[in-house]
Amino acid sequence: MTTKELKIANEIAEIARLEAFIEELGEEHSLDMALVMSLNLALEEAVSNIILYAYPEKMGEEILITAFATPSSLIFTIADSGVEFDPTVIPEADITLSVEDRNIGGLGIFLVRRIMDEVKYERIEGKNVLTITKNL
Amino acid sequence: MNVTIKTEAEKTLIVIEGRVDTTNAKEFEKAISEVIESPMHDVEVDCEKLTYISSSGLRVFLVLQKSAMAKQGKLVLRHLQPTILEVFKMTGFTSIFTIA
Repeated sequence: MTTKELKIANEIAEIARLEAFIEELGEEHSLDMALVMSLNLALEEAVSNIILYAYPEKMGEEILITAFATPSSLIFTIADSGVEFDPTVIPEADITLSVEDRNIGGLGIFLVRRIMDEVKYERIEGKNVLTITKNL
Repeated sequence: MNVTIKTEAEKTLIVIEGRVDTTNAKEFEKAISEVIESPMHDVEVDCEKLTYISSSGLRVFLVLQKSAMAKQGKLVLRHLQPTILEVFKMTGFTSIFTIA
């Protein structure tokens, strides 16, 4: 089992750093390009939700992203000390609505769920910890 | 991300290249605002060099489509890479857009 960490600040611009993090992980574990892109997308949606909703007025707080690789899965934890925020209870986007009725709310967590095999939220010692797992 | 807009008579071509994510989706929306506000008679988006899109980027495509439909205009997305097409499929966007 190997572990990889990335600490980012609570700013939208920091999301750009996820790309390099996930690409390195992809190279280390010989993941195909399509999977690397999907993982990048799931992480971006999860992290941007935190930046947009968990830290309304507390700029500069850190978000810690950890990746564990096992022979059969990739497990990511995303931990922040923002306000209690459980993204798994956000209503999912209804993707069957017509274009007039569609909006983008809830699409982020919907994508996380579609890409990953398991999505789990816990509140641990004042921190939001989201664990998302992809089976290989 | 790089956006180029070419207009020829009634036809408008938007060429989007690179990554559209949470960090630059607003910039993308601003870059194509003239097209969103136009009559949108005949608009094409060339996505051949679009390499990544997240929900923030999808939102901008949705704004464009809503504008086209409100004006009975025409919007066609062309040359989507397989990974991008997969994101459109996952989110049900393939049933909203004309993808050629």
